[in-house]
Amino acid sequence: MIDRPDAPALLEAMAATLADAVVPACEGPPQHAARVVANLCRILAREFEHGVAATEQTTSDLRLLLGSDAGLSELVVELERRLESGGEVDPMDDDQLFSVLKANVDRRLAVAKPSYIQDVGPTTS
Amino acid sequence: MSSGPKPEVVAAGLAEVLAAAGLHSPLVTIDGVASAGATRKTLFLTVQVGGDSGGETIAAVAQISSNNVLLGASMSVEDEAKLVDLAELAGVPVAAVLGASNDNESVGGPVVITRRIDGPTIPRHVLRLLEATPGLGDTLIGQCGAALAQLHRSGVDGVPESLPQLDADRPAAAYADQLGRTLDGIVDPHPVLRYGIRWLGQNLPSAPPSPAIVHGDFRNGNLIVNDTGLGAVLDWELAHVGDPMEDLAYLCLRTWRFGNDHLPAGGFGTIEALREAYVTAGGLWRDDAFHWWMTARTNWWGIGLAFQARNFTEGATASIVHAASGRRVVELEYDLLSLIESGA
Repeated sequence: MIDRPDAPALLEAMAATLADAVVPACEGPPQHAARVVANLCRILAREFEHGVAATEQTTSDLRLLLGSDAGLSELVVELERRLESGGEVDPMDDDQLFSVLKANVDRRLAVAKPSYIQDVGPTTS
Repeated sequence: MSSGPKPEVVAAGLAEVLAAAGLHSPLVTIDGVASAGATRKTLFLTVQVGGDSGGETIAAVAQISSNNVLLGASMSVEDEAKLVDLAELAGVPVAAVLGASNDNESVGGPVVITRRIDGPTIPRHVLRLLEATPGLGDTLIGQCGAALAQLHRSGVDGVPESLPQLDADRPAAAYADQLGRTLDGIVDPHPVLRYGIRWLGQNLPSAPPSPAIVHGDFRNGNLIVNDTGLGAVLDWELAHVGDPMEDLAYLCLRTWRFGNDHLPAGGFGTIEALREAYVTAGGLWRDDAFHWWMTARTNWWGIGLAFQARNFTEGATASIVHAASGRRVVELEYDLLSLIESGA
């Protein structure tokens, strides 16, 4: 009824195979491409684990911010429309807006590159 | 790998370009392809001046553009060559231009031919060299600060006509407008980048006392580094007239540190060392503009990565690297919000 390994486990195995077996065996652009694909496999594995919950949380945040019950795609378009107007059309509370954007970025980064969050910030001298 | 003109045809075309630039009977041999990027291909050449009669032998590099697709490159390569000459006169280490042509059919695209200077340009190779050579990072950051001060102090008299110019009175505002228009070109919404542009428009920095030549892409990856430090500043195709602080800020973007976050200036120096070198060489450092331009150019590269991803999703490229760029946009968005938070 249920096949194993599941998708995240397979993607991790694909990433490890590329990184450990394929990358050392090539050089130049093919090596770079193999490294990129290995990294994409790891991103997809994390997306399988956390993607749905992250999307639901962003949808919920945007519904509160924009006062709308629409789906995520429509909410993002609506947010973009309000931002394009420079804050003149249906202005939003700036602190709330920043919090929603920041939380969304943190959740996406936890999928795309978790180590980036722990690293040193961009202005540290 | 794209098919293009045959190597012997390209070599003959390169010889024509060099002859037109005043070299006597040049014979060109292509020694190899150094890199074949999305917009530029780099060839290593040996040029025998005086043909078979045996004049000077020159190690050279040809950079052939396929197209200028990304974000505003609009200067002709002939004008780019003139600009590099101006930079050299100002004291910036450059790879001296031997010839340039916008329209030599045999070469297959606009080309700039320069002298070859030894040393790595690939960022991780540069960082490895710096790690292996005590004190070289300090030397390099000092040379970068000095080179930028020399470039920025040289004034804008005699710059090529096609060199893009940001509005002299309000370069930052003009740049923020430009970012907004560029983002309009991507159909998918990117609210974080849009928010960044709004913040930029609402938090404009002081204007520079006078406009300057800005390199526009001054970072690890576009610098030749050898055991004496800065060998040459390359890749002038994003140069423009604008706010000199843009170059200093750009060098310090997190994305160009290649993981060396403990050294925020380029991944090889401190901001204090960069500032000191710049000011010592006669440059005027403005803190508000430094922070603003870091924010603006972080936003710009976020848009750049989003563009690469768009080119993949719309079928303009099958590059897996460009596809993966779509998942890197969030890194720049994270940096963007961190910068806004620290500057609010």
